[in-house]
Amino acid sequence: MSLLAFFQWCEASGIGETIRKSSWLFPVIEAIHLLGLGVIGGAVLVVDLRLLGLGLRRQSAAQLTRDAQPWLLGSLTLMIVTGGLLFLSEAIKCYYHDAFWFKMSCLFLAIVFTFTIQRKVIMTDESRLRPLWSKVVAVVSVLLWAGVGIGGRWIGFS
Amino acid sequence: MKRVLIGIFCVLTLALCYFATSPSQAAKLRPPSGAVARQVHLISSDSASEKWARLGYFSRPLPLGSMLLQDESTSAAPKGSLLAFFQRMGDSSWSTGLHESRYAYDLIESVHVWALCLFFGLAVMFDFRLLGWTMKSVPVSEVARRLLPWTAAGFVVMVISGTLLFSAIPMRSYQNIFFRAKMIMLLLAGLNVWIFHSGVYRRVTTWDADKVTPKAARVAGALSLVLWVCIVLSGRMIAYNWFDCDRQPQPAIINLLTSCVPTQAEH
Repeated sequence: MSLLAFFQWCEASGIGETIRKSSWLFPVIEAIHLLGLGVIGGAVLVVDLRLLGLGLRRQSAAQLTRDAQPWLLGSLTLMIVTGGLLFLSEAIKCYYHDAFWFKMSCLFLAIVFTFTIQRKVIMTDESRLRPLWSKVVAVVSVLLWAGVGIGGRWIGFS
Repeated sequence: MKRVLIGIFCVLTLALCYFATSPSQAAKLRPPSGAVARQVHLISSDSASEKWARLGYFSRPLPLGSMLLQDESTSAAPKGSLLAFFQRMGDSSWSTGLHESRYAYDLIESVHVWALCLFFGLAVMFDFRLLGWTMKSVPVSEVARRLLPWTAAGFVVMVISGTLLFSAIPMRSYQNIFFRAKMIMLLLAGLNVWIFHSGVYRRVTTWDADKVTPKAARVAGALSLVLWVCIVLSGRMIAYNWFDCDRQPQPAIINLLTSCVPTQAEH
């Protein structure tokens, strides 16, 4: 099955059909998707601002990561579920839309980066780490997540 | 910081006063010129037609003077009313240029969404702390001092980009039920911030490190959370035209809330 065929199958699925036919389902799911985006933004920024030295200072980044983790994972799950539903309703449009592929690339990189490299840097003892590294990691993380958000918004434009 | 918040609150209060006093029968009038058609295209959920509509209309806006002249002759809105003001705003070359532009409107909207992460995300994190759902080991005043300036910065960007978006389609936004709900909730959220900062937060030193904050603080956090969530939801819904003035018939209550008086022809 080619990728396009898979996208066509998604578009033709019962769920996609139901969402397309309803006048309010898509907007409601989209609004919930937007709320999830906001919470992810908060959970990511609390940690990244700490790494940049611009947010909370007295707590270790590791502690803040543990605090923000449930909210990051929770809202990420919400985003993926609602985003999946939105995708089913317009899969073929997404296939031909550059912003969709940009967003998916950013999302993949952001998730991998957050849970591997960033996690490793944060868990390393701060005294043994050059401060520059944590700043670089924070900037990359913010840029990747911002790419996901902006890419998502541009799927709606054509 | 607190002064900024109070200032914002005052501005929002004035805005609500405007809404409350604007004459409702003035809304009888529908936007003259081609504004309706353009706006309907702009909010159409069919993205393909949106694209072509924008490209098609990209041609040439009339010069400012002629727009105003045309407005004078066809306008039924009482002079000096808020509606007449927004109508003039909507017919200005600035507004026309903004909502017909290929990229400006989309870019501003992207900034609005991006700033939402900064503003809403961090405001929600502070609410979560007040509710004892996260960062329990961090003193409340520490979270407020280090994170709320970012929230305030995000809010400023939200207000500026939001005003620009409004100025691109003022008539439709003004008579949009979700926009009105959003403005009222913004006001309530501002009131909540003011009550929190002038009330229980003044005594923060006595409960700073508490894992379970005082009841007043928890109530403020919960209210803030509910209000901002509803503001984001209604903000997103402004884009949909289910209850718009030019889609009649609507239930009487909707027309009342959008101060829309449909003309005979629409019945």
